Amino acid sequence: MTLALATRHTAWLTYRSVLGRLRQPAALTPSFVFPLFFAALGSASFSRIAERPDFQEIASSFLNYAVAGAVAQGVLFASTSAAGDLATDIEQGFFERLLASPVSRTSILLGRLGSAMVVAVVQVTVFLGIFMAFGARIESGPIGFIGLVGSGALLSLAIGGLMSGMAIRSGSPEVVQGSFPLVFALMFLSSAFFPRRYMTGWYRTVADWNPLSHIVEGMQGFMNQPLAADMFWRSWLIPLGLAIVSIAFGLRALSKRLAAL
Amino acid sequence: MSTPPIVAEGLVRHFGSGDKVVKAVDGVDLIVNDGEIFGFLGPNGAGKSTTVRVLTTLLKPTAGRATVAGYDVATQADQVRRSIGVALQDAAIDPLMTGRELLALQSVLYGLPKARATNRSDELLERVGLTAAADRRVGTYSGGMRRRLDLALSLVHEPSVLFLDEPTTGLDPMSRLTLWEEVRRLNREGTTVLLTTQYLEEADQLADRVAIIDHGHIVRQGVPRDLKAAVGAPTLLIDVAETQSSAARNVLTRFGDLRPTSEGTLGVGLRDGASAVAAVIRALDDEGIHVRHLELNEPSLDDVFAEATGHRLEGAEAPKQ
Repeated sequence: MTLALATRHTAWLTYRSVLGRLRQPAALTPSFVFPLFFAALGSASFSRIAERPDFQEIASSFLNYAVAGAVAQGVLFASTSAAGDLATDIEQGFFERLLASPVSRTSILLGRLGSAMVVAVVQVTVFLGIFMAFGARIESGPIGFIGLVGSGALLSLAIGGLMSGMAIRSGSPEVVQGSFPLVFALMFLSSAFFPRRYMTGWYRTVADWNPLSHIVEGMQGFMNQPLAADMFWRSWLIPLGLAIVSIAFGLRALSKRLAAL
Repeated sequence: MSTPPIVAEGLVRHFGSGDKVVKAVDGVDLIVNDGEIFGFLGPNGAGKSTTVRVLTTLLKPTAGRATVAGYDVATQADQVRRSIGVALQDAAIDPLMTGRELLALQSVLYGLPKARATNRSDELLERVGLTAAADRRVGTYSGGMRRRLDLALSLVHEPSVLFLDEPTTGLDPMSRLTLWEEVRRLNREGTTVLLTTQYLEEADQLADRVAIIDHGHIVRQGVPRDLKAAVGAPTLLIDVAETQSSAARNVLTRFGDLRPTSEGTLGVGLRDGASAVAAVIRALDDEGIHVRHLELNEPSLDDVFAEATGHRLEGAEAPKQ
């Protein structure tokens, strides 16, 4: 198998997965609607916190603050759905159809991750457009926009790799969907919806150790501060590191599944 | 002399371990010759699909050896996959994609250049009668259309060996005939075909040779006509009231060996052939046995199966055309 052919397989499997997403609006909609709903809810509930003088060090408005949380949440939804589709392929037999062909085995996983990444890029762009229509601003300019999109893409790989690994191990879409609340809890135990500096006790400790807090804060930096290297370190390198680990987990799960045939 | 397209020697596939081991395939030997349609006949759970999955590299053999298109299925799996076409009963076709999109994807998986892939897709869609439906999502296709698309997908790279796993199960008679005709046409063009089926008629109509498998073992193998001839006598089937069943059985044994039948029916292989029917009826009448239904069947593959295994191929009869 040449690298060029494996790349072509990955590209086509990505295309197939994206088509599948687009052709199931009912499955795609929650990853767009719910984050915006939560952002609207947060803005209505917590907007007064933005009146605190020290909040201005974090964001110019709660809306500007909420963008990163919405982006991360949307990416988590979309990546989990992509992994759920992979489990459906296994359950319904399309996975076996692929295995009967000389497809690059790695492409089966990478194709799904590719689609999660494409959806994430579209999602971040759409979210930024909507938030900006309501008055949000990217303080770090066009490069900050690229920073946010790239961060969303890398986060989709990190979560997608983990969830795809679970999909391959279990072969059950229900298991993948059932594990989503754990990922969602990880979001609530981070600074995605509320600044860390206002948290106390164990909640603050968990949020401090939660990598998602640092990724989201890197994204918040793009939204609310002039461009700085620190934003890339936090919102790109951390998800990149997590993506490497989670994709390795996914590939190992695939390898074990194939070895067990 | 070149190696036959499919060779299996002592092929074994077990699932599970220890006390819970299931011997799905337990020492299968078979040779499929170049240009043959080979039927693999057996009831559900007999080991047909597991054998095909091993031969198509989807499962690894527990023991034994098999080569397909001259390549070892265990050690040269990639070469095997490039040489064969596979249409599996359980392998889903993505309902969200169109027929044309799936053919394009399949072409990419087999490394066809784009221009060749486009021509080949058009050619195959026309061949299986799906040109008009090519741009519709597969989710809107009927069962017969899906099977035809599945066949087209398996032919994208012009394989020399084609595996069809229960290609007509669940299809209406018209769709079944269409698919049979397509299989015959492919075979005339030189493709070696191994098809599994639980339909006696399908094996009889299509296959040059058949292997009958039961509980993971091949119990008979050969040309259908020869296998049936080996069974010899035609089978007389009678239906009698349950209270007269024992007496009827005693009468029938005078005319030949009793044969396994479906529940509520008695069967005997008439050693003197069809000419003995009148004598059987007279003997039953003499004993006061009321025959509700009587049927004389020339030896069928079901008789071959029954003779080899002691039971009938349950649910194997295809709907009458």
